[in-house]
Amino acid sequence: MSARTGRLIVLIAVLALAAAPFYMAPFTITLMNYIGVYSFVALGLVLLTGVAGIVSFGQASFMGIAAYATAWASALMGYSPWLGLVLAIVVTCAVAAVVGIATLRLQGHFLSLSTIAWGLALYFTFGNIAGLGAYNGIPSIPPVSIGTMPLVGSGQIFYLIWGALLLSLLAAHNLLGSRSGRAMRALRGGNALVESLGINALHIRLVTFVVAALLAALSGWLYAHMSRFVSPTPFDVTWSIFFLMMAMVGGSGYLLGAIVGAALITLMKNWIQDLLPLIAPSSSGQLEIVVFSALFIVFLQRARDGIVPYVAQFLPEPRREPPKPAAALPRRPQPDQGGVLMQVEAASRNFGGLIAVNDVSFDVRAGEILALIGPNGAGKTTMFNIITGALRASKGRIVFAGKDITDAPANTIARAGIARTFQHVKLRPKMSLIDNVLLGAYSRTRAGFLAGALRLDRAEEAHARSEAMRQLERVGLGSRPFDLAGNLPLGNQRLLEIARALAADPVLLVLDEPAAGLRRQEKLKLAELLRTLRAEGLTILLVEHDMDFVMGLVDRIVVMEFGCKLCEGTPEAVRADTRVQEAYLGGVV
Amino acid sequence: MRRVALGFTVFAAFVFGAGAAGAQDITVGFVTSLSGPASSIGINYEKGINAAYAYQSEVDGHKINLIKLDDGSDPSAATQNARKLVQQNHVDLMIGTSSAPATNAMLTVANELKVPFIGVSPVNVKIPEEGHPWGIAVPQTPNLMVKVIADRMKREGIKTVGFIGFTDSWGDLVYNGAKAAEQNGGPKVTSNERYTRTDTSVTAQALKVMSTKPDALLDGGSATQAALPLLEMRKLGFKGNFYGTPSLLNRDFVRVGGKAAEGVQVSAGPVIVTSQLPDSHFSKKIGTAFHETFQKVNKSDADDGFSGYSFDGWLIFLNAAKVALKTAKPGTPEFREALMQAIYSNKDVAGVHAIYNFTPKSYYGVDERSLVVVKLVDGKWVYQP
Amino acid sequence: MNAQIAAILTMDGVATGAIYVLIALGFVLIFAVTRIIFVPFGDITAFTALTLADLEAKRLPGTASMIAVLAIAAALMEVVALLRAGAARRIPHALLYYLVLPLVPAAIVWATAGIAMPAPLRIALTIALILPLAPLLDRIVFRPIADASVLLLLVVSVALHFALVGMGLLFFGPEGVRTQSLVDFSTEIAGTPVSGETLLIVGSAAFFSFLLYLFFNFTLYGKALHATAMNRTGARLMGIRPQQSGTIAFLLGSLLAAVSGVLIAPVNTVFYDSGFLIGLKAFVGAIIGGLVSFPVTAIGSVLVGLLESFAAFQSSPFKEVIVFSILIPVLLWRSYSFVHAEEEDEE
Repeated sequence: MSARTGRLIVLIAVLALAAAPFYMAPFTITLMNYIGVYSFVALGLVLLTGVAGIVSFGQASFMGIAAYATAWASALMGYSPWLGLVLAIVVTCAVAAVVGIATLRLQGHFLSLSTIAWGLALYFTFGNIAGLGAYNGIPSIPPVSIGTMPLVGSGQIFYLIWGALLLSLLAAHNLLGSRSGRAMRALRGGNALVESLGINALHIRLVTFVVAALLAALSGWLYAHMSRFVSPTPFDVTWSIFFLMMAMVGGSGYLLGAIVGAALITLMKNWIQDLLPLIAPSSSGQLEIVVFSALFIVFLQRARDGIVPYVAQFLPEPRREPPKPAAALPRRPQPDQGGVLMQVEAASRNFGGLIAVNDVSFDVRAGEILALIGPNGAGKTTMFNIITGALRASKGRIVFAGKDITDAPANTIARAGIARTFQHVKLRPKMSLIDNVLLGAYSRTRAGFLAGALRLDRAEEAHARSEAMRQLERVGLGSRPFDLAGNLPLGNQRLLEIARALAADPVLLVLDEPAAGLRRQEKLKLAELLRTLRAEGLTILLVEHDMDFVMGLVDRIVVMEFGCKLCEGTPEAVRADTRVQEAYLGGVV
Repeated sequence: MRRVALGFTVFAAFVFGAGAAGAQDITVGFVTSLSGPASSIGINYEKGINAAYAYQSEVDGHKINLIKLDDGSDPSAATQNARKLVQQNHVDLMIGTSSAPATNAMLTVANELKVPFIGVSPVNVKIPEEGHPWGIAVPQTPNLMVKVIADRMKREGIKTVGFIGFTDSWGDLVYNGAKAAEQNGGPKVTSNERYTRTDTSVTAQALKVMSTKPDALLDGGSATQAALPLLEMRKLGFKGNFYGTPSLLNRDFVRVGGKAAEGVQVSAGPVIVTSQLPDSHFSKKIGTAFHETFQKVNKSDADDGFSGYSFDGWLIFLNAAKVALKTAKPGTPEFREALMQAIYSNKDVAGVHAIYNFTPKSYYGVDERSLVVVKLVDGKWVYQP
Repeated sequence: MNAQIAAILTMDGVATGAIYVLIALGFVLIFAVTRIIFVPFGDITAFTALTLADLEAKRLPGTASMIAVLAIAAALMEVVALLRAGAARRIPHALLYYLVLPLVPAAIVWATAGIAMPAPLRIALTIALILPLAPLLDRIVFRPIADASVLLLLVVSVALHFALVGMGLLFFGPEGVRTQSLVDFSTEIAGTPVSGETLLIVGSAAFFSFLLYLFFNFTLYGKALHATAMNRTGARLMGIRPQQSGTIAFLLGSLLAAVSGVLIAPVNTVFYDSGFLIGLKAFVGAIIGGLVSFPVTAIGSVLVGLLESFAAFQSSPFKEVIVFSILIPVLLWRSYSFVHAEEEDEE
């Protein structure tokens, strides 16, 4: 299915939607309005929970803040509902920013629980403010007017709701395909990778959180002017849970999942309300929620990922064009060959009583390939983690290109020009090859969330994509850039990591066991690649176990054992050193 | 795929099957809370409407179709239900629901879609600027409920009263009513403590109230848990009298309150003590009929005030329908307009709670005749003239 | 606020906190073994109290038929699964465990509902009836998705809670219940009156905290259960059956929920939906314990009770806001001292 067919389908759907008030029954339009309003919150949850992995049980509270803001402005103070919109967005996003700064450092369960906590706190706060009607709420909210026409009827506000929803959907789609969207998608799976690419994970999470709150605010504003009545009950934890259910039923990782989920849950509740009195007339009211929950549980047991991915299996794959070549992104100047690029001075790191790295010093010269070797448990990866900022040194100093980076966080070090790969490959298996490599180019590009959503970043994206293709081709993976990274065999995954590291245009490339899992031919190709890179002026620091690979390739070797530096020198000197022989072979050969 | 097709078939069946009432039938929609926090009140409303339907289910030969929906104590659901009743079931009139916010929500829809609405809980919506309102509220206003009991407190020499109520819309309404009564010479309100229905203890709140040393306590809770503050206050040694509102008229409140609740006085609609009223009382005859029908249909006694509101709402509707049928046919906008006008023009409709007179200037239509004071003696409510 | 008021509030806070302790222990127990946050735990407590009240009033509680239906469903699912796995000879054992054992107390209740019986027998019968509830729910709801993501398990848990609350309303109606007192004396501590019930609850809370602490840290079986939660595959390689561990955890959890229900019912009015908010506040206590340590959970839950008591005195309309807002700094503090090794595998 080509892009044009896809666009045609979307156009037909939008037209059918625009004509809906003319051929659908009035109550169906009412239901569609509710579905539309709820879809906003569900869309926010798709971005927040489905994409970025932050489970939130508090989105209904944001909806409530916006609804109350506009209710106060328009019903109690007499301002125009459009002013209420501005107030709603400003207040909700401000509260979201504050809550986010306070809680987004939490991980996993603790973060979700904190969302329940402030969700409940906000609900009880709404109910206690006498000026906002307390538990009785604020009635008689005026409708939104476009020009002089008030949008009172279901068929009128329908256009406002669905128009805004479609625009939001478009913006979200653009966002996910942009630089910021890739960073959001990269958040699931742990912070180590993200920080090593120069991405400030907390910043991305915070903005995603505020974006989700913004969508919830739009929902709240529309809700207030659609029902023309607000009270605390529609914004309590139960509704937050329903919204989460909507996102999950639709498919929490898919934008369309928000609408499909909202539609299914709303319609399901309606059908149950109609059907149950026929089956159990006397207790139908009490049974509704039981039947609903039971259906929901059975559904999730059968289709864990939601409806959209299930249906998508049967649809043809969209055809995607590989990126056209474009001008390169600006490159960093490489330092002069031969000078000292990085100095490690008396670095130590201990974990409680275990001393993993013990007073190790060595230099890395610009333009050389330096290998760090040693038996298992010698502390090589820990050393790497100290250099790249994934761990902090307990003692000692690291100086890179004249700057002290000992206490710098990982993403600052990445931006200074150090790119790394990992011993246990860290990729995003559900992202494509080219997207994974584009993550590497994050710190070389600048488009933010807004530019991404409004598609103002097309030029920069073209440069970045072309660069990513170049790096993929360089490591030999350029033939199928849209394959999912998780489908690659291990050897190619390591190559992908290298491509990603190269996309960052580093000064120093730090490779942790790049040849592990490669076959002989692949190792030869890799060695060739590394030599080419060295010829272009790149400095490379690597850890390896394969002595053949190391000996024929590197300029100098540092040997570690039990956390201490054993010796340092050219491959021949190290090979002849008796201490090295003892450490590896248990005795002089 | 099959399941989706099945779902659509069922859905279509309901979209199309819903309007299958006979052409001459009158369709009435009834919404209440059968689940959620307001269910203890909501279920009573449903029992009331069951009794009402059994009392009279047709007007001048036209059968009445009653559609009942649950709003789960959620104003969003109440709004959706109201729209469903009007747009899908084409009702001529709506009655509902069990909490003030949800009733407000339904009234908003009634005003927009121009369908008569009989609210059976307090309302607080602005009167529309153009045309006439499309709803009425059956109950006594919360302020009136509190005023009547505040007057009784004044009569008994109470100068200061402490307040403990629910953390919900009802608690707010009672407290506001107490403050309003205070403005008009009633006892001074010394505290505003709140608790939730599911709280395990109100010791702290009770202590706080006692520290303000009031002469008496006004209980702003409802149903079973309204007993909690009374139990706690007695345990802490409070010797003053207890007063409350009609929301204390509940069998489980009496059971759980036990000795602590003995002697509590509440304002109540006359329906609660129909048998003790003199024969000349306006609600004696209709109240007796109500209790009989209620007992037959629900197999229990009507010992709460809420079911009476449903019944009175039905009476108001029946009287209006009788008049409206003379000029319009059910299922038409003219009929709905005629119903609303009839509600306004019918005067002195006697119900189990009150005598009703409605005008377009306000949603409420009762006066002080609609409340009496009753005292809990030996587990039974006794009329205090 | 004077000393006497503070003393009363403290006593009240400890009493409330003790209730939270029992429920928090159950949360931690189930989470420690299965990594499931079992939201319906509070609802099982409420069910126990409501069932006991029904038996006291000589009514047949709806719980009996619910257990019967669940038992049949679970047994069917288990038999089908065993047949598919070609392990037909395990069927008799499965039937005994999933069908016969739960049905016995249900049958007894069904037969004796209208008869008066002595309080201890009634309580024992209630506990025996409720005991299979959590394991049966585990088999029907969680077992098919045991390897799903934490988010899915949490949302399913919440859906199950909705279903149980709905069943509770259906069986027991919207009004609350209080059962007869278990013990009748009352005494004085530091000049404030303390009821025997409160002492019983506090004593049980202390007893169970200690018991669970010993079990999980000092017995091989307890450590095996804990290992299952850390790494299911590793545990299986060590010969520990994760499914069995899960069932045992749910069974113990059921026991805790039932006991707490029996203890709470005489001192509080329990409604069909009391479980949620009480469970949530107990969960705050569990979080203070980091979801791992039983003694700290107990202390944390008591602290929550005290906080609630004093907050209610200071400003009762805002008491919920205060209690839940406090959770956030506690979470921040707790998450810094929590190891996130398994976080990296979440994808």
